[in-house]
Amino acid sequence: MTRRALDWRDLILGLFLVAVAAGALWMTRTLSIGSAADMGPGYMPRVVSLALLGFGLFFLVRGARHAGEAIQPVHLRPVLAVLLAVGVFALTAERLGLAISSVLTVLLAGFATRETRPIESVLFAIVLSGLAALLFIKVLALPVPLWPR
Amino acid sequence: MELFDNLLMGLSTAMQLNNLGFCLIGVLIGTAIGVLPGIGPIPTIALLLPFTFGMEPAGAMIMLAGIFYGAQYGGSTTAILVNVPGETSSVVTCLDGHQMARQGRAGTALAIAAISSFFAGTVATVVIALLSVPLAALALKFTAVEYFSLLVLGLIAAVVLAHGSVARSLSMVFLGLLLGLIGIDVSSGAARMTFGVPELSDGIDFVPVAMGMFGLAEIIANLERPSERRVVSQKVRDLIPSRADLRAAFPAMVRGTLLGSALGVLPGGGAALPPFSSYALEKKLAKDPSRFGHGAIEGVAGPEAANNAGAQTSFIPLLTLGIPANALMALMIGALMMQGIQPGPQIMREQPQLVWGVIASMWVGNLMLLVINLPLIGLWVSMLKIPYRLLFPAIVLFCCIGTYGIANSLFNVWLMLGCAAVGYLFIKVGVEPAPLLLGLVLGPQLEENFRRAMLLSEGDFSIFLSRPISAVLLAVVAAVLLAMLSPAIVRRRREALTE
Repeated sequence: MTRRALDWRDLILGLFLVAVAAGALWMTRTLSIGSAADMGPGYMPRVVSLALLGFGLFFLVRGARHAGEAIQPVHLRPVLAVLLAVGVFALTAERLGLAISSVLTVLLAGFATRETRPIESVLFAIVLSGLAALLFIKVLALPVPLWPR
Repeated sequence: MELFDNLLMGLSTAMQLNNLGFCLIGVLIGTAIGVLPGIGPIPTIALLLPFTFGMEPAGAMIMLAGIFYGAQYGGSTTAILVNVPGETSSVVTCLDGHQMARQGRAGTALAIAAISSFFAGTVATVVIALLSVPLAALALKFTAVEYFSLLVLGLIAAVVLAHGSVARSLSMVFLGLLLGLIGIDVSSGAARMTFGVPELSDGIDFVPVAMGMFGLAEIIANLERPSERRVVSQKVRDLIPSRADLRAAFPAMVRGTLLGSALGVLPGGGAALPPFSSYALEKKLAKDPSRFGHGAIEGVAGPEAANNAGAQTSFIPLLTLGIPANALMALMIGALMMQGIQPGPQIMREQPQLVWGVIASMWVGNLMLLVINLPLIGLWVSMLKIPYRLLFPAIVLFCCIGTYGIANSLFNVWLMLGCAAVGYLFIKVGVEPAPLLLGLVLGPQLEENFRRAMLLSEGDFSIFLSRPISAVLLAVVAAVLLAMLSPAIVRRRREALTE
């Protein structure tokens, strides 16, 4: 039983960086590079992407050769709840208005932890929504609708 | 005396009624978020940036600066009373400060922390005023060549002094630089990596990035840990320290201030490193080191002074050279740019009112903190009783609205969502996102200056070495990078950062 130990933190980071660098290189492939004296728009993106690619490969190699700290377990509940709350805000803010959107966001975010108490959460969401409307629409004149259009 | 005139001019700006008000708001908000664990100054300042649009540049900077050093004050209050560091910079204060509180000397500990911070803040204000003039004069000699080298030094040094692996942090700088390149290229008009999204043509906004990576990702990570809150039941008495206490604390205060001021000026400096160094120093100098960890008053005075001095002097590179020393200062640069002020060596000459006003306001703000904070201790303690289950949904909501408010664009909210996910990934794989933010903010300037320098030299890279100032700056970069490769220093650094 001597499976080779891997450093997953390095491997994942390396993979992420390689993917980003490859994507950036692909997207800037049509931009002219120019020369050092007269740089085209593609010069810096390519330099930086290649450096990133180098780092990514370095982490991949290092991660494959040494064992490292284990990754802390991922708890899906807070991740999903918080990201979903933000997503719902982005989807509803301009359509349903700030008042409803705020309540939805706060309620959804509340699902991130088991400690949330339903009634308290609903009341708190309504209060916060009122505060947000007062602060951002009345005081700061943010051009976002308050109610559904 | 020029220095005196400058400070007076700054004071007259800082003492304007509206600026006094902004300063007060800043330090109050700062103390509040400092007291609350789980919200740091970075997301708070990012959140408040949209509010500063309509303000005068001086007022905006005064308020944002107030949040920063106010947070250092607030952080120590929680550290002493509840043994929970409100900010990373107050981790050390927990050690002896909370022990003092347990021995019934909470009032003394709080007062010493406040007095040390005020003392350090006063000295640091003078240090800033003294150093700014020669540095700004030096900066006027800078061309694109020197500026490029300086930016490189700033980025590298920030990486070296940050926590965590150097290679990882360096890769984050490059990732930030890449993000900074997104948008329409200024000189050719070509769209770069914009995905055809019109919102990206002006470049990626750093506020959603900062809020996603520092605000939301932190919240998610916090929620994974089981919540623990100890409620304080101690009455805070004896807010006036005795003469003996003051005498014991004073030398530590002075040493902490000097150490903090020096470390704060370094790129990558700021509020986190100085208190650790100061604590180690006090322990080494003490006649009886065993008292430390059991309520030694020097263990509160030194680090508290160091932390405040460092927080303030980290403004020096920003105000004189336009180089941010840490991620927070990068946000400040962003705030300046939003006001239409290009940060850089010329800023002291072109905006003396602003620069000196901010410097003088720090002293005013420190005085406010000393006067208002001790009587308000009860209020801050009661804020700790707000449960996190109510706190975090509110932060999520305000992050959403705040991000939307910068450009009234939902795109920024989606961007923040993406950055939150990536930020969470970074936490899981153990990478600090701070260097990324630095790279993002400095990226466009770096490219611009590199391009100009290359035009100047007609594509000859040796120009960076043939100009003396630039050569020295790059030599420091090389020395720092080489030093990082040496195993002995790597070990020392790890010890210093984990201690």
